[in-house]
Formats: sequence, C-alpha cells, structure tokens
Amino acid sequence: MKIPEQITRLGMLLAGVLAAVLLLRFVILPADMFSAAPHQAAKAVREMAKPVHYAGMPACRECHADIYDTKSAGGHRYMGCENCHGAAAAHASDPATGNPPLPSEREFCYACHAFDPSRPNGFPQIEPTEHRAGKKCIRCHDPHDPVPPSAPSDCSGCHGVIAKTKATSSHATVECAACHEVPEQHFTSPRAALPTKPAGRESCGQCHGSDATDSGAPRVDLASHGDSYQCWQCHYPHAPEMTR
Amino acid sequence: MNIDTNQALFEQLAHQLGQVAGFIYPNEVEIQWAILIVVYPYITGIVAGAFILASLVKVFNVVEVQPIYRLALLTALAFMLIAGMPLNLHLGHPERSYEIFLTPQPTSAMAMFGFVYLWYLMAVLLLEVWFEYRAQFILMAQQTRGFMGKLYRVLSLFSNDVSPQALAFDKKASKLITIIGIPSAFLLHGYVGFIFGSIKANPWWSSVLMPIVFLMSAIVSGIAMVIIVYTIISLVRNEKVDMRCLDKVGLFLLVAIIVDFALEALDYIHRMYQAEESIEILGELISNKLFTSLVILQVLVGMFVPLAILAFARIRHLNDDLRKLMYFVSALLLQVGIFGMRWNVVIGGQLYSKSYRGLMAYKMELTGIESLGMALVLLALPFIILAVLVRLLPTQPMAGQPPAAH
Ligand code: HEC
Ligand code: HEC
Ligand code: HEC
Ligand code: HEC
Ligand code: HEC
Ligand code: HEC
Ligand code: HEC
Ligand code: HEC
Repeated sequence: MKIPEQITRLGMLLAGVLAAVLLLRFVILPADMFSAAPHQAAKAVREMAKPVHYAGMPACRECHADIYDTKSAGGHRYMGCENCHGAAAAHASDPATGNPPLPSEREFCYACHAFDPSRPNGFPQIEPTEHRAGKKCIRCHDPHDPVPPSAPSDCSGCHGVIAKTKATSSHATVECAACHEVPEQHFTSPRAALPTKPAGRESCGQCHGSDATDSGAPRVDLASHGDSYQCWQCHYPHAPEMTR
Repeated sequence: MNIDTNQALFEQLAHQLGQVAGFIYPNEVEIQWAILIVVYPYITGIVAGAFILASLVKVFNVVEVQPIYRLALLTALAFMLIAGMPLNLHLGHPERSYEIFLTPQPTSAMAMFGFVYLWYLMAVLLLEVWFEYRAQFILMAQQTRGFMGKLYRVLSLFSNDVSPQALAFDKKASKLITIIGIPSAFLLHGYVGFIFGSIKANPWWSSVLMPIVFLMSAIVSGIAMVIIVYTIISLVRNEKVDMRCLDKVGLFLLVAIIVDFALEALDYIHRMYQAEESIEILGELISNKLFTSLVILQVLVGMFVPLAILAFARIRHLNDDLRKLMYFVSALLLQVGIFGMRWNVVIGGQLYSKSYRGLMAYKMELTGIESLGMALVLLALPFIILAVLVRLLPTQPMAGQPPAAH
C-alpha cells in the first residue's frame, strides 16, 4: 500500500524534530544540564552566602547559662531566646557590639497571650484591659520562668504587717474571720471585693462583754468602759494591749 | 532578594497581617498562589472545553455544530498557546521554563505539566489543525502570491496531494486524533483539578471530585467562550449567525451547566453531611471572605442567571435576535461564574488557616509580575492570537474544497 503523502511529510518533520532533540540531548548540551545537582549546589551556595541573623538558643547558653536553665524548666521552654530578644547573632559572637533589646512592654506579651477565642484550648490567656492593667507584666511574671504568681492563700500574703502584729499580740488566737467577713474574690481582686469591718462596740462585746460566753477574754463593762467611743479608738484591734 | 523588594514584601505582609482574623500559622500570612494561578486553570479550562465542543463534530457527528468546528479548534489553540504563561510568570523565572523538560520529575504532578502540555499542544491540537487545514493550505498556497503564499506552502509542509484519497485520509486522521484528543483534553484539565484535589492538607481542595468538577466547568467555560467568539466574529464580519448551530450549542451548554452544578452541589452537600472538623472554618470562609465571589458571582450571577436565561430561551419561542442576545449574555455571565469558581478554589483555599482557627486576607497588586495588570494582559493575549489565527486560517471551508463534515 502506498504511504499517504501526509504521513511522509509529517514523518519527515517529526524525524527532524526528533533528531534535533536527540542531538541536543546527547551531543550538544553538556550532561550536567540534565541533572538537578548543579541547581541544588548553587542554591546551597546562595543560601550560605546570606548573612546569619539568628544564633539559636544553644549559642546563648554559653554565656547566659543561668537564664537558659531557668527558661528550660518553665512555661516558655519551647521558645527561643531570640523570639523575644530579636535576632542576636552579632551579639552572641561579640557581646561588645551591643545588647539585644529587652521587650519589657505589656504590648509585647499580648502577641501570644491577649485573649483570642481561636487560641488552642487551655493556652494561658489574659484580657489585656483587665489583667492588672497599667502594670508591666514582668513585674509579676519572670519572662524566663513565667509561672503565674500564685494568689496568696491567706491574709498574711498581703496584710503581712497586720498578721505579724496580731500573731504576737493577745489577739493571736483570734481568727481574722472573727472580726472580718471576707468574700472569696478578695483573694484575687482585693480592691474589687473588700471585707467587712466591725461595726460597733457590740462586736467586741461578743467576747469582752460581761455577759459574753467566751472563756479566755478579759471582761469589761460595755456600758461604762471607755465611754461611748468605739473600742478601736483606744485599742488597736490587731494588738489590743496597745492602747492609743 | 534585595533590600527594596524585601521592604515592599514586608509592607505588603504587614498590611495583610493587619487583616488576619483569629489564629493563623506564621507562614500563612502570604498568599502564595495568587491571581495568575487563578488565570491558569481558567485558560486551560477554555482550551479543554472548546476542544470538546469541536470533537462533538468529529466524533459524534453532531452536524449542527459543524459551522463552528474550526472556530472552536482555533479558540482552543489560541488559549493553549497562552496556557503555560501564567505558570511561567508566577514562578518568576520564565527563562528557565525549558528545564522542566531537562530534569523530569515523574513523582511530581506539577513537574509533569510540561509533558502534559506538550502532548496536548503538539500531538493533539496542532496535528488536528494541520489535518483539518492541509488541503486548504495547498489551495491557498496556489491562490496567494508573495510572502503569504510561501507561508501557506510551509504550513502545508510542501505537500500538494489533494486527491480524494488524500482528503479522505485527512478526515480519518483528524477523527483519530480527536478520539485521542478527548481523553487528552480530559487529562489536561482533569490534571489541573488533580493538582488541587490531591493536596490532602487542604480540606477546601482535597476532594476526589475536584478533577471532574474542573472538567465540567471547563466544558461550560469553553463552550461559552466559543459562543462569545462566534457571535463577535459574525458581528464584525457582518455575517448571519447560524441559529440552528447556536441553538444546539446552547443546548449542550445548558446540559453542561446542569451537570456542573449538580457536581458542585454534590461536593458541597457531601462536605456538609460529612461535617469534618474543617466544616466550621469553611462555613466561615464562605459566609465571610468568599461571600461575594462565591455566593453572588459564582453561583447566582455566574450559574443560576445564565441557567435561567438558557432554559427560558429553550422553552419559549423567541425570535432569533433575542435568542442570540440571550446566548451571548449568558455566555458572558458564565465566564464571570467560571472565573469566580477558579478564584474561589485557588484563593479561597489559601484564605483560611490550616489551624482551622483563623482567616487570612489577599491583597491583589495592580502592577508587577503577579498582578491584576498581568492577569489582564494574559487574558487579552489569546484573543489577539485568535484574531491573527482566524485571519490566517479561514473558519469556513473555502469554495472548491469539500466540507469536512460527513
Ligand atoms: C559570648 C558570651 C555571650 C553570648 C554567647 C550571648 N551573650 Fe548576651 N550578653 C553577654 C554580655 C557580656 C552581656 C552584657 C551584660 C551587661 O551589659 O550587663 C549580655 C547581655 C545580654 C542581654 C541584655 C541584658 C541587659 O541587661 O540589657 C540580652 C537580652 C542578652 N544578652 C541576650 C542574649 C541572647 C538572646 C543570646 C543568644 C542569641 C546571647 N545573649 C548570647 C554575653 C553573651
Ligand atoms: C518570653 C520572652 C523571653 C524569652 C523567651 C527570653 N527572654 Fe530574656 N528577657 C525577656 C524580658 C521581657 C526581659 C526583661 C526583664 C526585665 O527587664 O526585668 C529579659 C531579660 C533578659 C536579660 C537581662 C536581664 C536578666 O534577667 O539578666 C538577659 C541576659 C536575657 N533576658 C537573656 C535571655 C536568654 C539567654 C534567653 C534564652 C535562654 C531569654 N532571655 C529568653 C524576655 C524573654
Ligand atoms: C511567642 C509567644 C509568646 C510570647 C511573646 C510570650 N509568651 Fe508566655 N507563653 C507562651 C507559651 C507557648 C506558653 C506555654 C503555654 C502552655 O503551657 O500551654 C506561655 C506561658 C506563659 C505563662 C503561663 C505559664 C504557666 O506555667 O502556666 C505566663 C504567665 C506567660 N507565658 C507570661 C508571659 C509574659 C509575661 C510574656 C511577655 C514578657 C510572655 N508570656 C510572652 C508563649 C508566649
Ligand atoms: C500585679 C501582678 C501581675 C501583673 C502586672 C500581670 N500579672 Fe499575669 N498573673 C498575675 C496573677 C496573680 C496571676 C494568677 C491569678 C490570675 O489568674 O489572675 C496571673 C496569671 C497570668 C497568666 C496565666 C493565666 C492562666 O489562665 O493560666 C498569664 C498568661 C498572665 N498572667 C499573663 C500576664 C501578662 C501577659 C501580663 C502583662 C500584660 C500580666 N500577666 C501582668 C499577676 C500579674
Ligand atoms: C491578695 C492580697 C490580699 C489578701 C490575700 C487579703 N487581702 Fe485584705 N486587702 C487587700 C488589699 C489590696 C486591700 C485594700 C487596701 C487599701 O485599700 O488600701 C485590702 C483590704 C482589706 C481590709 C480593709 C477593708 C476596708 O474597707 O478598708 C480588710 C479588713 C481586709 N483586707 C481583710 C483581709 C483578710 C481578713 C484577709 C484574709 C482572710 C485578707 N484581707 C486577705 C489585699 C489582700
Ligand atoms: C478583734 C477583731 C479583729 C481581728 C481578729 C482582726 N481585725 Fe482587722 N480590723 C478590726 C477592726 C475593728 C478594724 C477597724 C480599725 C479602724 O477602723 O481603725 C480592722 C481593720 C483592718 C484593716 C484595715 C486597715 C487598718 O489597719 O485599719 C485590715 C487590712 C485588717 N483589719 C486586716 C486584718 C487581718 C489580716 C486580720 C487577721 C490577721 C485581722 N484584721 C484581724 C478588727 C479585727
Ligand atoms: C472572739 C473573741 C474576741 C473578740 C471578738 C475580741 N476579743 Fe479582745 N480578747 C480576746 C481574748 C481571748 C483575749 C485574752 C487573750 C489573753 O489574754 O490571752 C482578749 C484580750 C483583749 C484585750 C486585753 C489585752 C491585754 O492583754 O491587755 C483587749 C484590750 C481587747 N481584747 C480588746 C478587744 C477589742 C477592742 C475588741 C473589738 C474590736 C476585741 N477585743 C474583740 C477575745 C476577743
Ligand atoms: C477611752 C478609751 C477606751 C475605750 C473607748 C475603751 N477602752 Fe478598754 N481600756 C482602756 C484603758 C485605758 C484600759 C486599761 C485599763 C487598765 O489597764 O486598767 C482598758 C482596758 C481594757 C481591757 C482589759 C481589762 C483587763 O482586765 O485587763 C479590756 C478587755 C478592754 N479594755 C476592752 C474594751 C472594749 C471591749 C471596749 C469597747 C466596748 C473598750 N475597751 C473601749 C481604754 C478604753
């Protein structure tokens, strides 16, 4: 059968193209054009030529071992030093070039801790306008070991002087709660929920009145003792033996 | 990268960072696949769609569509010539594009694109065009003098056999090529969908339906594009539009839209019913970032309205001019819809964090290598090429040549 003319023409064209391709592939072009290795090598060289800005945490350890160890045990253990202090390769190779910045403003910590409903469950978050507004975070939290300062569980944590005074006075055995009703919230937001204070002479009279049931307390005649002044105008309630 | 581009990048990222809502990972601020990657599937879709329309004539003998057979083929070719360019520009080093052939990487779908493209362009489109036009090249080479005459001679590969046997062989060959071409067109555009559908880390993309949804929408956009081109060319040449042909194409378009819509709806229903953990953020994505481009442009303007128009044009007996107008308008709206679909897939998939807890923002640049300006240039180029092609290659068989239909 006769081969149609179209096929011979196309075949010639195709053979020409094929020959050109083969010639290029195996004769003209150098073999390493067909390998990705030169690209990878060039890329490595290119990348290595870039200036290094970050030294990495192990580098800091050399000179700041104490901070490194503190941080490694705390809530920020997975964070690099340079996350907070910025790129510090120059500093690490020669501290004389200058100190990295200390990010001590509140706003810096907001980036990760400001309340955002989309953060993972359980991630420690705060409401910036409410959480100790106006004070620097690092006053209460060590950035290298950010345990939240535990809220004091008894009055002495905040009223140290009064507690100490009372502890050595004749009211030592008298509980704070005998004279003050303290709401739970007073421990976390003290000013927002203040405890009560004794209202009148009768509150001391519970124990010191002549008809009081309390055994150990010395008695006075409520009607006459100290006129009609409040008892604490003469006796300091947290150390009542001291009369004013 | 020098300091200046770094600076510009920082400024842009800072701007985008300002629009982020919720929690995202640091490397998600930058939208990596931008407008050019939207243009790319849009253009290849038109190629595949236009080719499949053309193949209706060759393989399925749909005689009504014969008048636009060549136009569909040329439309496919014009868009195909540009199809690789968005990718080349997006990657930033068009001068290195030949390397995709030098260092093939068979395990990477993206790296194989060069071969898919080459196969489709060389083995399918150019061959089919050549067989379709060979006889005509010979005739024109005889009728024209000077440069054009020489050009046609070269184009005919210096063949001059116009015997009935040779013409019959042309016909057979182009039918065979079309038969190979249909799966190739499916491959070309199914491949584009596969690129997205196979990204398992991105639930917006990861779907086995993706290739087939891309394919159906490709058919819609290709057919619609041929309608647009045909209407405009007839207008410019002051020729009468063949309404029998247009009605038939309109019917195919209507069917394609319905299938496309059914597939996309299926995809969404499937997602909603499965209600995987990503469903909430995807819901937010749709109701927030993609509301205009998906609900309004893609579904309402780009699908329901043309669907209604096309259905109306079929049910009612309207006069030719009105029907022509309706086909034209719905074809235009469909382009908006399909472009919107590409946008929603490509950009949408990058607007939500893989933490499922935040949404990003995309700010399109006006000028530059990956910008609106460049996208418009790339979208205009196929039409310019097409204008040249229809001048060079007549869209109707010449007198003296037997029509290619059977
Ligand atoms: C070669 C030793 C060395 C290395 C390594 C080093 N530093 Fe320092 N660093 C110093 C010295 C010395 C100072 C100065 C202390 C001073 O001014 O009191 C300093 C100061 C600092 C300060 C500022 C303290 C202040 O009070 O202002 C910071 C923050 C700091 N270093 C962080 C780092 C970080 C982060 C790294 C790791 C990338 C690092 N350093 C690595 C030696 C070192
Ligand atoms: C969460 C952020 C954060 C990380 C992580 C962090 N720092 Fe700091 N660092 C700070 C802040 C805030 C200050 C300022 C504290 C102050 O002013 O009292 C500071 C202060 C310092 C100082 C000077 C004051 C001091 O306490 O001696 C040094 C030195 C220092 N950091 C080193 C380091 C090193 C080394 C690391 C890594 C092992 C590190 N930092 C990790 C936030 C951080
Ligand atoms: C880059 C993000 C980041 C920055 C900036 C940051 N932190 Fe943290 N912080 C963390 C992570 C992560 C944890 C650990 C969370 C966990 O345990 O799940 C944490 C934990 C904490 C905790 C709770 C620790 C515990 O044991 O419950 C406190 C308090 C804290 N950070 C305070 C701060 C303060 C104060 C600053 C500003 C100096 C700061 N953080 C800056 C990421 C950050
Ligand atoms: C006046 C002291 C103080 C200051 C200032 C302060 N905090 Fe706290 N912070 C606390 C105390 C006390 C707690 C634990 C009780 C509580 O949760 O209120 C705490 C708890 C936290 C917790 C843990 C919350 C949790 O759910 O585990 C984080 C995180 C925290 N603070 C971050 C900050 C940040 C960030 C700042 C600065 C913007 C800051 N803090 C400022 C005292 C302080
Ligand atoms: C977290 C710290 C904290 C703890 C713990 C605490 N307080 Fe206070 N308390 C305060 C602060 C702060 C004030 C307000 C002082 C001021 O306004 O000058 C206050 C005020 C008071 C007052 C005065 C109320 C007033 O009207 O002036 C009383 C009484 C009092 N506390 C009793 C107690 C008692 C009793 C306890 C233990 C059961 C206790 N507090 C535990 C911080 C604390
Ligand atoms: C015997 C009763 C009594 C007991 C017990 C007592 N208080 Fe008071 N407290 C008073 C009275 C009364 C006042 C009001 C004094 C005044 O208004 O001058 C007062 C006032 C205070 C105040 C206001 C500041 C001041 O010094 O006036 C604080 C704080 C306070 N008490 C804390 C405590 C704490 C803490 C304890 C336990 C460690 C405690 N009190 C136990 C009776 C008592
Ligand atoms: C819960 C009972 C109780 C209440 C309430 C009470 N006291 Fe007392 N008070 C005692 C006891 C018990 C002693 C004796 C302790 C001792 O001598 O060991 C005492 C001792 C005293 C003394 C003698 C101190 C000395 O040794 O000279 C004075 C003064 C005094 N209280 C004043 C007051 C005043 C003022 C109030 C009211 C603000 C008050 N007390 C409320 C139980 C109470
Ligand atoms: C005007 C000042 C004043 C007032 C008000 C006052 N006292 Fe006294 N109180 C004194 C003086 C002074 C003494 C010491 C008397 C003495 O040592 O003999 C004293 C002694 C006491 C004693 C010790 C008695 C003893 O046997 O050791 C008690 C108990 C007492 N007062 C309770 C009260 C109570 C309860 C109130 C309120 C109802 C009160 N006082 C109001 C000035 C006052």
